[in-house]
Amino acid sequence: MGEEKKEKRYKSGLLRSLWPYNFNVERYTYTLHRITGVILILYLMAHVFEIYHVALGPVAWEQTMALLGSLGIWEKIGLWIIAGSALYHGANGFRLILNEVFGMLLGKPVLPEYPYTPTSLSRNQKIAIYLIVLVVEALWIWAGIYLLWGLGII
Amino acid sequence: MKVRIRRFDGQKEWWQDYEVDAKPSDTVLDVLNRIREKQDHTLAFRQSCQMGSCGSCGMVINGLPALACQTRIGELKTESIRLEPLYNYKVIKDLVVDLNDFVNKHRSVKPWMIRKNPEELEEAPTEFKVTPEQNLTFVQFDYCIMCGICLAACPTVAIDPLFLGPQALGQAYRYIADPRDEGFEERIDILDDSHGVWRCHFAGACSYVCPKGVDPAKAIQYLKKDILKYRLLHKKRASTKPAELVQKAPPPNAPKPPPFDFKVEGGV
Amino acid sequence: MPSKYSLLKESWNMILMYALALIMIFVLTFHLLLVSPLTGRTFDQLLNYNYVLQNLTYYRIVFGLLLYAAVIHGLNGLRIVLIEWLHVKRFQWAVNVIIVILMAILLAFGTYTLIVL
Repeated sequence: MGEEKKEKRYKSGLLRSLWPYNFNVERYTYTLHRITGVILILYLMAHVFEIYHVALGPVAWEQTMALLGSLGIWEKIGLWIIAGSALYHGANGFRLILNEVFGMLLGKPVLPEYPYTPTSLSRNQKIAIYLIVLVVEALWIWAGIYLLWGLGII
Repeated sequence: MKVRIRRFDGQKEWWQDYEVDAKPSDTVLDVLNRIREKQDHTLAFRQSCQMGSCGSCGMVINGLPALACQTRIGELKTESIRLEPLYNYKVIKDLVVDLNDFVNKHRSVKPWMIRKNPEELEEAPTEFKVTPEQNLTFVQFDYCIMCGICLAACPTVAIDPLFLGPQALGQAYRYIADPRDEGFEERIDILDDSHGVWRCHFAGACSYVCPKGVDPAKAIQYLKKDILKYRLLHKKRASTKPAELVQKAPPPNAPKPPPFDFKVEGGV
Repeated sequence: MPSKYSLLKESWNMILMYALALIMIFVLTFHLLLVSPLTGRTFDQLLNYNYVLQNLTYYRIVFGLLLYAAVIHGLNGLRIVLIEWLHVKRFQWAVNVIIVILMAILLAFGTYTLIVL
């Protein structure tokens, strides 16, 4: 037993977990959901401290804005990525709630018959995913145009 | 045809290339057998039934976990084949992986019939009947052959070796959905853990690669729904009651069915 | 001992996640609309001190709800990512402690901002 306990459990690592190449669309959505989630929580921490400067008065706020403004175009690109992350994470999260909490879009248990197409990854699920991608893309492009407009490019 | 195989001899890993003659109708397992017979006797891989019902020959073929005996060269549509041992497992030698953890995870979800009164199983007054409709709610998940391919595809198993994995969770659901089973509370106590059912984030890769169409991802999502229903509304799945079994038992002095006639019409 | 009232179960954690996610879908949409071009303002006008202050004080309860929902949902999500990645027991303990401390700090700063204004 002692030797068994000491033996390290085998672990493939983050890259294997997040690299969806060759697999199904749902695994790509998983990777994106995870990455956008981490982006959003990192942004949220910064955002709470940013808004905290409102409580410190107008001078502190203007200083913070000047600091962020000095990032130039990177500020806008960052905001654009964060907007896209929020849109995607929200839309895909809603699909996951439908799946996990209400058991929707999964299909009923069936007798498997060759060529075994899993019902949980079939038509309804794919329609939901492509709808999410379409809506998120549209809103994201709109947000991008708006940010460029804020930059004075358009 | 060129075959690249990921070799491992206990100390070092390397890629080895083989040149094999193969028809499009050959399976990957045929090709491996040919290599072992004609070219390299040291190549190690598992095989048993060669017809997709034992689940021994799971390996990663061109980056996708699959059964070697069910994959034909023609359907791969590539010039060469790349073979690796199953991902997320400890490799023992070449294409042979250590399935101990996998089997222990399966055992930990109690994949057997649980009755509150164990004597019912020992001295059942009659058989535990299941209607065809009831059967259809779980029979899909009963088709699992324990090949371990789903764990190789799962992104959570790749980072969390403690995660029970699609196979064990799918089997847990198979017994929870069974109306003859009464182990719901006992089982969800194991599943509703920090490395249990909630570590599934529905990437669906397990269902995508399953060679028997078991669809473990669907079972896990239903399992989550059942657990939430139980925690929030205190509702659980209906099980066959002992009283129902007694009622269905034939009366002691019922006429016996006639013995089966072995005579074949028209003679042998 | 299995109990249907057991609160120390992962499912309660996930129920919290799902509930906060559903709340955020509405509240965050509202927040994003407040800083969108639909308000008829340019980017710089939206970041004007008076506009930000006015929004924060007028919709204090909505922003408070968003703050608590986002911080708890977000840090809990980060905790899930980390406990999957660092599966050794003492790391799990450390992750939980760090997440609780971070949560306390962020909620303290956020609540202070909303109360002082």
